Amino acid sequence: MTTQVIKYVGRTTNFKGKTLWEIVGSLKNYGVGRIIVRSVFNRYPEPSFMKIVKVETCPDEERRRVRVWVEKTFRGRKSPQLTEIYRTSYKPDYNLIPKDEEYKFLEAVKSNESEVILPNTIEMPPLMKRFIVKDHEKKGLETIKEYVLPLSYNHSPNRVARIAKGDEKPTVKFTMGLGKPASPSLYEGIPLQ
Amino acid sequence: MIPKNVLLKRVSPLISQIAEAHRKPRWEPVAKSKIYRIPKRPEISEEERLELLRINNNYKTQMRAIRRFYHEEMMRELSSLKSASSEMSQKLEAEEWEKCVHLNEEWNKEVAAEREQRRKIELAAMEEYTLKRMEEKDKEMREKIEKASAEIRLQKELSATFITPDNLEAAIDAALANPIDYNFAIDLKGNHFYGRDTPIVNQDKKDNAINTNT
Repeated sequence: MTTQVIKYVGRTTNFKGKTLWEIVGSLKNYGVGRIIVRSVFNRYPEPSFMKIVKVETCPDEERRRVRVWVEKTFRGRKSPQLTEIYRTSYKPDYNLIPKDEEYKFLEAVKSNESEVILPNTIEMPPLMKRFIVKDHEKKGLETIKEYVLPLSYNHSPNRVARIAKGDEKPTVKFTMGLGKPASPSLYEGIPLQ
Repeated sequence: MIPKNVLLKRVSPLISQIAEAHRKPRWEPVAKSKIYRIPKRPEISEEERLELLRINNNYKTQMRAIRRFYHEEMMRELSSLKSASSEMSQKLEAEEWEKCVHLNEEWNKEVAAEREQRRKIELAAMEEYTLKRMEEKDKEMREKIEKASAEIRLQKELSATFITPDNLEAAIDAALANPIDYNFAIDLKGNHFYGRDTPIVNQDKKDNAINTNT
């Protein structure tokens, strides 16, 4: 089942690691208490890892899968409930963390206190500002004083940044323009603004 | 070759799929020559990836905000339109009701006046009819009484000829003395011929006899 020499065939993948059963099946007591990580979550600066709490094996028809309950920590935030991994357990993307390295993850969670507050309004685009004045005049509505649009965000339990409530001052600002480039080297020689 | 548009606009699909030229149909498996082909993944530098991610995220946020703004505006307009229309309709309905009530009252007055008049005429007619009936009844009663009194008078007059125990003997005597023969024959002219043994006189002779007699 587990081979040391890996030979890749077919299309390339972003996954890096083993399926969950490959890890859990070869460990003592099915690895309860050990820490695993999904390699795709390594893209985030905050640590994301899972601590195995309970393991249930699956019948022969589902030999690539295993039912595992974990304490999930995603981007440095621990979820209050246990998470069941079954549908995604076949993905060859899980990595086991050695016991002597576990402290790095556990420590990182404690140190992660900084909070990002997202704004709940955004400035109107320049053409819309002019259009809306004319439009409201035409419709006989009162003219807008503040040229801002309310922002809406997708709801997700995995959201890290907090959305500002009321008049809270946001730590990041969204604009209708190009904004500050993430990699300025791409804009060399181009005048911004 | 039949043009594609003609085939697509058909009412009943004769050909279920129209493939582009030089393409395999959908139900065909991967071509033999392409089975082991591994498409090359696009190589994007880390800098570019980050910048694209940032730009795309920005764009999505902006568009979401604009879409939400216009959606809310539309909903507001819709609701205001609805409420305004409902107010208008309510006002119109109230006006219509007022109008209907007024018209109904007018009609009621007209009908009441007509009814009064009709009732007067009807009452007069009824009185007349009753009086007439009463008079008729009186007349009838009077006639009846008259008839009855006349009968009484007649009977009183006749009572003189009645057979009483006093004059019974005399009546019997009179009857015996004057026997009446009820057997008679009648000829076509209504002449009575009394008695069983009365000889029949010939008509001509009789006529002659009569003529001679007169």
